[in-house]
Order: sequence, then C-alpha cells, then structure tokens
Amino acid sequence: MKKFRIAGLILAGIFIVLQFFQPELNRSGLGDNSILAKEKLPEPVAAMLKHSCFDCHSNQTNYPWYDRIAPASWLVAHHVKEGKKQLNFSDWGSKDVIDKITELGKIGDEVKSGNMPIPSYVMIHRDAKLSKEQTEELIAWTVKFSEELLAKEE
Amino acid sequence: MLILGIAFVSFTLSQTGSPSAQMPDNVKAAVDKACFACHNTASQNAKAKEKLDFSTLSGLAKAAQIGKYREIGETIENGEMPPKKFLDNYPDKKLTAEESKLLIKWAEGEVKNLMKK
Repeated sequence: MKKFRIAGLILAGIFIVLQFFQPELNRSGLGDNSILAKEKLPEPVAAMLKHSCFDCHSNQTNYPWYDRIAPASWLVAHHVKEGKKQLNFSDWGSKDVIDKITELGKIGDEVKSGNMPIPSYVMIHRDAKLSKEQTEELIAWTVKFSEELLAKEE
Repeated sequence: MLILGIAFVSFTLSQTGSPSAQMPDNVKAAVDKACFACHNTASQNAKAKEKLDFSTLSGLAKAAQIGKYREIGETIENGEMPPKKFLDNYPDKKLTAEESKLLIKWAEGEVKNLMKK
C-alpha cells in the first residue's frame, strides 16, 4: 500500500512540475491582415470561421482552461502550429487571388470530407461543431466567394 | 447492336478512359502513369476522386478549376503525390524528376490560361 502512495505522490509531483513548462501561447491577435479585416463576409460564415477554424488557423487561439494544462497544452500547441502552416486566416491579405481561390477550394473539400474541423477537436470543443446545414452553407460560400474573387480580377 | 456497343464503349471511354482531351501527350502520359488510376470518376478510391477527378475537372466552374490546378502543382512540388504507401506497392509509378517538373509547369500553365480567359 505504501508503495502505491509513494508512486502516486511521485506522479503528482511530476504533473505539478510539468505545469511550469508551458508552450508559448498563440495570442498575438487576429490582426489587420486577417480575412475578417480584409473581406466582407456573411455574418454566419464569419461566426463559423471564428468558432470552428480560428483556434488552429489564425494568430488568435481561444484557450479554455483545460487546454492550458500540460501535457494537453503541448498537444494543442502542436495542432496550432500545424494548422497555421496549412492555412493561416490572419495572413489572408498577403495572398494573391489564385492562392485565395485555392484555399477556398481546399476549405470546401476538407469540410465536405469531414476532415475539418478535426473530429477530436470538436469532441472536446463542442461549440466548434458544425451542423449539417452549417457545413453546407460554408461549402456554398467557398464556391460563391471564389467566383466573386475571380470576377473582381477580370 | 454493334453501333450501340461502340457508342457504349466510347461513352465509357469519355467518362473514364482519358484524363482530358486538351492535355499535351507527354503530360497525359505522366498523368496516366501516376495519377489517373485513383483520380477518375470510376475509381474505387473515394477519397482520391473526391479531392480530384480528372474525368470531370474541365466541367468544374472556372474558380474551382484554378484551385485544383494550383493544388496539383503544389502537391507534386511538395512530393505528396503519388502517396508513399502507393509507391511502396507500385515503385514504377513514381514520377521522375522530369515528369514532376513537366506536370508542375503544365498545372501552373493551366492556372495562367484560366486566369486569362
């Protein structure tokens, strides 16, 4: 019995020490170059991007308390890093029209196939879940918006 | 009956047999070798054809086509396609450096053409 208690204490100690080693937070703000600053989006689309995408695809992550506890915090930091590498909505203004159209196509594909938002993320962050109607609305918007961007170019 | 048969065969071919009539021969050869088996309408690989279907690509809206061609170029440039697992089974499907270059240049050319139209 005593052995278990010592093991438990050691584990708890490790857990506490871990909390002093935290990854840098992704909180520099959505920014003036973001898709919300640069484009006039339909309100429901803007809301979907905010709730379901920006945590990993912008420079402003919203961290619930459980995302701040190590080792989960490191997993979150990794997801954010990878997500921003694929697509960062905070850099939207720096993209040319072809890149924007390409990203919109990818967004539509990823959402349609159910790859995005990542199912494990949605399981924990319930408000990030997109309903079937929302998914359809978002996909329709990617198509319409890319056509608009193209038309503006011509 | 024969005419029906021919009509059916040519219909099937136009649906699944050739990637695109407008492709230059060398591009078509590379696409046939390394891409088309999964990226066509009749493909068993649902994920692959959902992402890119050479049989229907030219029927997409212009913006969608531009996005797809840009992605083709990027994907090859990043060495993401054909997938590693697939190449483990079919090492001869690997694109040579020249073929990769050719496809990247072709895809980017298609993007430019579509932007001009």
